[in-house]
Parts: sequence; C-alpha cells; structure tokens
Amino acid sequence: MKPDEQIPRNALVWIVISLFTLVAPHAQRIPLWILGVYVFTAFWRIMVYQGRWSFPGRWVKAGLIVSCFAGIYLSYGSLIGLEPTVALLLTAFALKLVELARRQDGYVLLFLGYFICITEFLFSQDLPIVLYSLLNVTVITTGLVALHRPGENQFNRKTIRLATVMLLQALPLMLVLFFLFPRIGPLWTVPIKSHTAKTGVSDFMKPGDISRLGKSDDVAFRAEFSGDIPNAADLYWRGLVFSVLEDGAWRSLRYYNIPASERRPQPVDTSGAPLAYQVIMEPTQQNWLYSLRYARPVTPGVMTGPDYALFSPGELEDERLYTVESWPDAQLELELSPWRREVELRLPEGDNPETVAFARRQRAQADSDAAFVEAVLERFTREPFAYSLNPPLLPEINPVDAFMFRSRTGFCEHYAAAFVVTMRAAGVPARVVAGYQGGEINPVNRTVIVHQFDAHAWAEVWLAGQGWVRVDPTAAVSPDRVEWGLERALAGEGSFLRDSPLSLLRYRGVAWVNTLRLRYDALTYRWQSWVNGFNRDKQFQLLNDVFGGISARKFMLVLIGSWALILGPVAFSLLRRRERRAGSPADRHYLAFCDKLARAGVARQAGETPEQFAARAARSMRPLAEQIEQISRLYSALAYRPAAAADGRQATLERELGRSVRRFRPGRR
Amino acid sequence: MRGIEARTAGTGLRHRLRQRFAEWVSRRIPPARAVTLDQKRIFIFPSRTGLFFALCLLVMLITAINYQNNMSFALTFLLATLFVVGVLHTYANLSGLTIRALRASPAFPGQQSEFSLQLERGRQREHFGLHLRWPGSSDAWVNLTDQDSVQVHLHMPVARRGWYSPGRLLLESTYPLGLLRCWTWIDLDLYALVYPQPLACPELPGLATDQPDGAAIPIVGSDDFYGFRDYREGDSLRQIHWKGLARGQGVQTKQYGAYADRSVWLDWDMFAGMGTERRLSHLCYWALQFESRDEEYGLRLPGLVLEPGSGDRHRDRVLQALALHGIEGRPR
Repeated sequence: MKPDEQIPRNALVWIVISLFTLVAPHAQRIPLWILGVYVFTAFWRIMVYQGRWSFPGRWVKAGLIVSCFAGIYLSYGSLIGLEPTVALLLTAFALKLVELARRQDGYVLLFLGYFICITEFLFSQDLPIVLYSLLNVTVITTGLVALHRPGENQFNRKTIRLATVMLLQALPLMLVLFFLFPRIGPLWTVPIKSHTAKTGVSDFMKPGDISRLGKSDDVAFRAEFSGDIPNAADLYWRGLVFSVLEDGAWRSLRYYNIPASERRPQPVDTSGAPLAYQVIMEPTQQNWLYSLRYARPVTPGVMTGPDYALFSPGELEDERLYTVESWPDAQLELELSPWRREVELRLPEGDNPETVAFARRQRAQADSDAAFVEAVLERFTREPFAYSLNPPLLPEINPVDAFMFRSRTGFCEHYAAAFVVTMRAAGVPARVVAGYQGGEINPVNRTVIVHQFDAHAWAEVWLAGQGWVRVDPTAAVSPDRVEWGLERALAGEGSFLRDSPLSLLRYRGVAWVNTLRLRYDALTYRWQSWVNGFNRDKQFQLLNDVFGGISARKFMLVLIGSWALILGPVAFSLLRRRERRAGSPADRHYLAFCDKLARAGVARQAGETPEQFAARAARSMRPLAEQIEQISRLYSALAYRPAAAADGRQATLERELGRSVRRFRPGRR
Repeated sequence: MRGIEARTAGTGLRHRLRQRFAEWVSRRIPPARAVTLDQKRIFIFPSRTGLFFALCLLVMLITAINYQNNMSFALTFLLATLFVVGVLHTYANLSGLTIRALRASPAFPGQQSEFSLQLERGRQREHFGLHLRWPGSSDAWVNLTDQDSVQVHLHMPVARRGWYSPGRLLLESTYPLGLLRCWTWIDLDLYALVYPQPLACPELPGLATDQPDGAAIPIVGSDDFYGFRDYREGDSLRQIHWKGLARGQGVQTKQYGAYADRSVWLDWDMFAGMGTERRLSHLCYWALQFESRDEEYGLRLPGLVLEPGSGDRHRDRVLQALALHGIEGRPR
C-alpha cells in the first residue's frame, strides 16, 4: 500500500471519536442493538490496529451487512420511512469502520458522517442539538485533516485546532449564503417520520388520558401575544372537539361522517379588535393546532374545521409556527342545524341510567337551559367532589354513574365527560373540548409556556341566543386549577410532577434555578421562532428591507462583496510573510538590508559572513559598493564588537544603521 | 484505416497540446537552482475527492430543500464554504516553500541516479503531505513540521551517456482536507551525470606503459606495504588504516611501495576504427578494471589528458571525462 493511501493512526482515533459523538444524539430513537454494532466494530478496528485481528473477509462483510439490514427490518417492521433510513445510514457508518483501510474509505466514512449530522436536524433543530452538531462537524473535519498528515502515528489533540479555525472562517461565509440562497419548495415528497410516537392530546379521550399528560413536564407549545396577555383563567387553548361518545371513549366527528353542507364552519361576527398571537408548537405527529376561540388563522396552511378548531392538513413532524387572531367574545354557531343538534345530543342507549334520570329531574326543576347548567355546576361545588391526578379506576359499564354518585373523585376529563353526558341526557346540546388551559408566563420575553401538564378537558353547551358557551366543570370543583394551574390545584395531594424528580419545574421555588430556566426557555423560543420562521417570505422581506429590492445583479454583488470582505483577511493571515525577526535592533536592520539585496537579486547564502556577503554584493553592484560596505561595517561593529559599541555610542550607531538601510535602494531585479 | 488515421491525428493533436503546455509551463516557471513557490507557479483545482464531496453536498442540499429544514441548509452551506476556505489553506500549504536542487549522483546507464533536493519551510509554520516525484522516478512524502528544511532523495533510472535531465518535478499536496489538489511543476537546474556503459573487451590493445625509472617511490595502489601517512582527500577508502582508526589514531592511509613501472595509459587511439560510444565504453571498462586492481592509469582523449593516478577521486575524474566526451557543456 502506498503511504498516501494509509490511514495515519491519529486519523483513526479521530474517526472512532466521531463515530460515537455522531451516534449519541440518535441513540434515543434507534434500537439498542445498533449501539452494540458500534461498540463491536470499534472494538474490531482497534484489534486490527493492534495487529491481533485482521480485516473481515468478503463473506464476513456480506454477512454483517445482510444481518444488519434484517435487524433493522425486524426492529422497525419496514425499511421505508425516515427512522429506518437513518438507522440504515448509522449502521452503514459503523460497518464502514471495519473496512477502513485506505484513505478513500476514510473519505466515504467521513462524508457519510456529515450526512448523518444533517439527518439529526430532521428530528430536532433545537439549539443544544445545533451546537452539538457543530461539535460533530468539527470532529469529522478534524478526522479529515488528520487523514492528510501522513506519518502522524500518535493521537494528537491539537489537530482539532486547524479544523476549528477553518470552520470559524467558513461560518460568516455560511451566514451570507444562508440568508441569500433562494428558498424553493420541496422538489419531491420525502420519507416521513413513521415511527415517532405521537405526543400531546390524542384524537380520542378515555378516562385517564388527560391525567396521564398531567404527569409530563414537556412543553406543548409557546405563545407570544402582540398585546397584553389575557388572564390565565381565560386561556382556554382549544384543540379538539369531541362530539361522539362511543365504546366508552369520546372522539371527534370523522370528516366523511359530516354531510357536505355542514363541512364549513358557520360565519362568525368578528367585530372589535382581535387578540393577535404567534404559537410555536412542538412536534406532535398529529394534526391539531391550539388556539383561543374564536380563532382565525393568519398563517397559510392552517385550516378551520366545522367545529371552529384549527388543524394542519399534514401531521406536525417538526416544530410548527403559526399566527392567529382571536375574538374571545364572538358567538359561535347561533343557528344549530338539525343534523348538528342530533349529533350533539346523541348518547349510547341505556347507558348510565342513574345520571340520565338525575339530569331529567334537574332539567325539569330548572327554568331554562342556562339555569340547568348552573344547577349541575352547583352540585359539583356542593357535594364532596374531589380533584385528583390519580383518581380510582371507573368500571367499564356505566362509568359516569359510578363517578357521579360513588367515587366522586376525578381529573378534568371525568368532570367534562360527566357534565356533557348530564347535559345531553336532559336535551341540551353539549360536547367535550380537549386542549390546554392556562400556561406559565415567562417574564423574560412575555411568552406563555404551555406544558403537557396544562392539558385540560372542558365542555361547551349550546344555549339559544348565545351559541356554544364554554362551561368548565373542573372550575366548579377546583377553582385553583383554572386560576393558578395544576401545581396549586394538586398542592394537597402532592402529586404534581411526582414521577419527574429532576424536572426543573419542581424547583420553581429556588430563585436562581427558575431564572435560569426561564431565560433558557426564552432563548429556546427565540431560536425556534427564528429557525422555523425563516422561510421564503421572511427571506424576501429581509432582503427587501436590507438591500431595498432584489435583483440577480445585486444578489451576486452582495455575495461576492461580502465573501471578499471575509476571505481577504483570512488570505492575508495565511499568506503574509511570516515574521521570524527576533533579536537586537541591529539584527532587524541588517535583515531588512539583506531582504533588499535579495529582492535585487543578490541573496545572502548560508554560512556567508557579513564581510564576505558585502564584498560579493559590492562586486555585483558597483555603484552601491560604498553604501553596502558602510552598512556592513556598522552592523559588524554593533554585532561583533559589543565592547566598542558599548561606550554610549550604541544607540547612535543603531540609528545610523537604520537610516542607512532605509536610504539603501538597490531596486528590484 | 480511417480509424487508425484518426487515432494518429488524435495523438498528434494531443502531442501538440502537450508540447504547447510544456512551452507555456517553461515560460511561466523557468528552470532554476532553487525555486520559491508563489502564485505564478502554484496551480489549484478540486481533486477527485473534492468532486465526490460536491456531489455529497448536492445530496445534502436536496435533503434540506425537500424537508424545508433550515439547519440542514445551514450545515450544507457551512460545508460548502469550508470547501472555499479550504482553497486558501491548501494553497498556503505550498505557498512560500523553497525547493533547492542539491545534487544528483552519477550513475551508469540503466542504474538509478539519486537526486537530492532540499525543501525549505514557507510561510506556514507546518507543511504536511507534500508529495514529490519526477515522471518515472520514485516518490516521496514529506512533512515539514519541526525543522526548517528537509532533504529528499528521489531515485530514477538514467539512460544515455552525458547529462541526464529528470524533467519537471511534480510537487503536489491535498492537505488539509483532500478536497483540493494544489500542485506545481518545477524545472530544477539539476542534472545527473551518466557514465558510458562499460563494455568488456578481452585485452587492452597496444598497452602503453611508462618506462620504469628504477626509483622506489610510494605509489598509491601498489602491492608492498611501505608505511603510514595522514589521510588526504582523494585517497582510496580501501587503503585507509581502519584498525588504527578504530584504535583512535586518526585517519591514516597505508602506503605501498613499488617501482613506478605499472602506470598505464588508456588512450583514445587504442580502439582505432571503432565508433565513439564503443571506444568510450571500452575505455570505461578498463578504467574500472585498473581501479579495482589498484593500478595507476591515465587517460588520453582528443583534447584532454589526465595524468596517471588512482583512487576514488581520480576514477571519478576519468569517468566524468569519458561521460562528457563530445558533449558541449551543461544543457540549459
């Protein structure tokens, strides 16, 4: 093997390091055995390096590849989709290590590494991931540099320095390109995330679903109001509307079950100033978007359903930024169509007989639907109902009866479901709404942080002349929940985030921890709104603002101009004459003199004394002979007879030498 | 037939182009004893790996576009601009380097001559992965890290008697990223001396010896031990008193006494009627024969006489005279 094809050991070490730093952020979403492959191949390669094992033969390699393919197929159930593709890439990356023998293999491996960095961004573009990927890119680039230092057969930490310098120099160029490069739409459809778990509120609700979310401190979304933030008690983030009770679970109407005439929402009177706000949702792999009612989306691509809930036609695979305008006091659906009324009153036949009887009794006693609603809520307040994150399990048959008359302990979904069943039994159209309630206001940047534990379910009843009215039975049981949030509501029970001892939210009482957490959250929000918000429109707007209109000519000018501005100093620092001038002023003057002569074609040779050089130079340029000899004499006096120069004349001699050298102009050859 | 003609035309064209290129390069980079690399002499272009990398970048860009993923865009652009910054770094790895021709060892035709060069540090503190070779020579990989200069020895088979020019030296490097190849073609003022091919002939016709004068004088290369004297330059290594040297007595030469009756003249006219090369080859053969027998020999060529003598220096002088017979000066 030629020396240029060998892999220096330094490079090998850096490549193995990059192997593990690359796989680390993916580790949470790949099967565990792939990490085993990494350890195994790294071990094998180190054994090869130590000369104990040899590179795998062709059949062994083929066997490894086939078994890894099969393993991925078995783990994911298919090879199609983003996750299996990334798992394949990661496995290929690990396997390439055991046949890393020549420089070419190194290139393939490291370029694959760069690509794996990109795939990480398809799952998350959060700031920590981006910073970590920058580290990854630096390590890979270091591997690339180490690959070109033949003979470096010891691990050299300093190799990373050049890679870092080069990346830092590339960074400003990248920023220019990032803002200028025209953004175009997707060229073709790409594999989507098919194996990532859905998060947040799901598309149906059984007792216990929301309380499960109540135990998670993950962020669901963040909202930023352009005006004042409404009171926490008014922040009912509407997500899904459950109109159908079926097999003990609440779910939305399916689109194909809705008659064509009912598919569009009825127009809403939107007079008055709206609340304007921007929401950035964390990926949920689901379609719903959250908003305060009545909401009209501003961002294109956000749809409104017939029940006035917002949704996205595609699942939220990544963070989603959308802007909304809301009119909280607008009246929804003042006229209820017969079909809609029938749907919103339907109950499974014969279920929960006690509740049905109770509802009819109560309705008969009340003057109006509104009074009936009040009476039912009043019962929740009066009787010993309790609010709990861990309520007792309800029986499969007649669960509402068991809740209303026996256990009387539940989370919001129990109250909402029981309330809606009561309403419907008495002939009042009602439905369950799922979403989030409240949120934490971040004083740093005035955003509302909504966590998963803010998940909530409440009810809407249709009252003649008012349309759909929001009723929250939980508020009747536990007013703290709505006013102050879940933590206060569960203070007696002590169950808030009991299962996440490390959650920073549990340490809200410690001032500095809380300050740090909120500052970091503000940074996250800013980053998200920037990363997700920078699209074609924003780019167009930005370039328009900065450069006043965009033309191809201007584009090229800006690109070339800014690059030249950045690359100029880089080139200068790399290519300027390296000054290795130390020593006395006399030495510096004399070296300047030698440089002048060298430029004129007479270079001082190694081992030539100043006298010899002066004599030679004087011979080859007669007219300047006197000057040359004078300079040489001065220098010799200063350098070789320090005693003679020490009697106070040294400075004078040095000045004299400097002046002579400056005046000496032999020209250029 | 047409195919062959076309091919000849093709090779002709390629030949002409190559010649044009050679002329252009010589104008740009004239031969010199020492060459310092500057922007006039350094060429740079993406390497094959660089093209492969560009392809990878394209795939990354398409991924970024299809997923509409801003950070993927950013990373793709970062790597693309790394490529651009790499141009400067790759260039800086060659820029300012000085290549100095040191010497080329003489050789017989068909043997390898050793060409010695010195690489001197340029503007960078460290230079890595410098690859040097002449067309047809062995190659060398050099790093300049701790020292200011490094010597490189390249070996190359030589062909005809006279001065052998190795052609243009290729110096290339793909450091630091391998994405770009930076190279230069240097015409160094460095030539190897090629001796005539020794050609055996059974006997030396018309052996001419000096008349013995009967005086016993110390003559180098004789049989009988005479005494020691201090080593002088040019003494044969075979006569150095190695044992004494090992004992720390300094370098001394063993002297052998003989009557000065054995010095031989190798004469151009001995091989009358033969071609020049053949004559030189026979003279070369006999010079080597006498040298190996430690006998004194002189050389008479038209216009050149070398008095009899022996030793490495004498041999080199004789061989050089034979090598350069009829060759006008150094090629320029």
